[in-house]
Amino acid sequence: MALEFDPYGVLGVSNTAGAEEIKAAYRRLARRLHPDVNSNPGAGVQFQDVTAAYEVLLDPIRRKMVDDEMLRRASVDDFYFTLRVTPSKRSITPLPEPQVLYLLAEIFPDPRAQDSSSKRETRLNLTLVLDHSNSMAGVRLEKVKIAAYQIIDNLSPDDILSVVTFNDRADVIIPATTVRDKPALKARVSMMLASGGTEIFHGLSKGVEQNRQFLGPKLVNHVILLTDGHTFGDQDKCIDLAVKATKDGISISAMGLGNDWNDKFLDELASRTGGNSLFISSANSVVKFLNEQVRNLTNAFADRVKLAIAPDPDVQLELAFKLAPHPQPLEIGGSTIPLGNLQANRHIAILLQVQLPGGMDIGFRSIVRLVASGDILQQMPQQKFQTASDLNLEVTTDPSREDPPSVIMDALSKLTLYRLQEKAQEALERGDVAEATRRLENLATRLLAIGQEDLANEALAEARRVAHTADLSDKGRKTLKYQTRHLLLPAVEERPE
Amino acid sequence: MRNCPYCGTKNREGTLFCEECGQALISGVDPTMPTKQLEDMPNDLAARATWGTASFGRQSAIIIHIRDLPDPITLQVTDRTVVGRADTTSPRQPDFDLTPYGALEKGVSRMHATIERSDDTLTLVDMGSANGTHLNGQRLIPDQPRVLRDGDEIRFGKLVAHIYFK
Repeated sequence: MALEFDPYGVLGVSNTAGAEEIKAAYRRLARRLHPDVNSNPGAGVQFQDVTAAYEVLLDPIRRKMVDDEMLRRASVDDFYFTLRVTPSKRSITPLPEPQVLYLLAEIFPDPRAQDSSSKRETRLNLTLVLDHSNSMAGVRLEKVKIAAYQIIDNLSPDDILSVVTFNDRADVIIPATTVRDKPALKARVSMMLASGGTEIFHGLSKGVEQNRQFLGPKLVNHVILLTDGHTFGDQDKCIDLAVKATKDGISISAMGLGNDWNDKFLDELASRTGGNSLFISSANSVVKFLNEQVRNLTNAFADRVKLAIAPDPDVQLELAFKLAPHPQPLEIGGSTIPLGNLQANRHIAILLQVQLPGGMDIGFRSIVRLVASGDILQQMPQQKFQTASDLNLEVTTDPSREDPPSVIMDALSKLTLYRLQEKAQEALERGDVAEATRRLENLATRLLAIGQEDLANEALAEARRVAHTADLSDKGRKTLKYQTRHLLLPAVEERPE
Repeated sequence: MRNCPYCGTKNREGTLFCEECGQALISGVDPTMPTKQLEDMPNDLAARATWGTASFGRQSAIIIHIRDLPDPITLQVTDRTVVGRADTTSPRQPDFDLTPYGALEKGVSRMHATIERSDDTLTLVDMGSANGTHLNGQRLIPDQPRVLRDGDEIRFGKLVAHIYFK
């Protein structure tokens, strides 16, 4: 039978549990996750799974089928991934007012995956959507072509590639095809000429359409959008398209080249699908960035990884940010957060900030339940896998003295800088110039304190500019945003896996 | 609530970095711990009620305690008081000369910083000094004014001073 999850694991009971125990476990979870008590979209998704697991286990015939399937799996030693949740503290003092707790959620690939990844089994279904508007003329377009040639060279013959170019209109210059005749594919790329304006929607929709033709659960389906310009009036259509693409299992990465593009829009586009957004400041870096992106894709152990977050009804999720493998802000509005692919040799790390209520009772209590799911690619016949982690903490008037884990402190110290520039931009959008200036000055001070002098000067220059013109420069806005985000990288990578 | 020691913003308990200024909020003090009563409070500056205030009313002087110096110095503040190290070869001399307190060995610049007076506050501005000015451990960005509060610690190069409003 097709088994998408382990019902025992979902309910948190052993496989010898009796009906009473199963009912009690179900009731315990339902009290936290039922839509009547928990309006959180993540809780709704989890409640469906919990209910499905409960129904399966209470039906003797279906339970027998599950047991047989689990037994078979245990014998073939399937691949899996693990979810680990670390809180900023394990015991909490009850306070009359709300308090903040940070959680680090990490998804680790199966340790055995790294050995087997040497013989690559992951197939790629890659679509490049490339801007060839007038502003791309010259060195930018040349570099994009070089990057495309290298990508074609590095793909294996069984991978699928499609290339769409766009300006005011979109053309499919390579319809989705296997990468067998490399010289012919390169020849088509070489015909690209710069002309016209930038309208992303046409290009993106043609790109997604090409990608859909070979859409499959065994493939990494990914669209890379590269642009250097603002698109006009079609942003909402693009986001809608991205949301639909995610449902089909396609992730989108967005790369902005130069200073004249909409970072907020590309960020949202990528975050909604589990992809990355990148700022490429000079044309010379295009080749490196594009190749790196594709290399990461070919290294995928699992794809369409998603996280469903269900805080308890009285707990509030305030912030989610992907720290690794690539720093990216996440949208917390939906029922699940798409995270894209999980690489065989790097884990996914997400920092969550939640608010705990005032006046908590003494004793152990549940805080949040996380469920990670995804398609494991290096594995047949099983495809889907999911794993849950339930965080419980002790509320006590005598909490143990502990420093927050250094990984959380590290990540948070850098994330705070990113948040400062974000808040400055939010203040500007509200028209609060004084606040924006103050935030940028604070950012400059903090950057100076950690030895980032160039970036501190940039922040200071922008603070002055804001005070006078009430706006950031296009370059400054992107530099501050992507460089402070970039600060998160080394601290994360140095960590032992 | 936890007050940020740097900017004074109230942050919710559990917050690790100030939401306003990004400074680390050092934990260690239990929020529920009762305030400790100080015994035999000496009648010195530490116990004054104005501690921590940024409001500098009609006073005309501040008291400066230089570390390792037994007696405090009273400084009359004008609209703009330049702090530095007097040097006969330089064309301008500071209003407040730190030479008697080891300014040269401690790396104080000739024109190190200014204390400026506006309506009812004092601000400290680093003048691009070689070894920098630190306010409560935080290095100042040159030409960026910072408000001074009663009890603040200022470091000119390696020379440490505490200031109190009179």
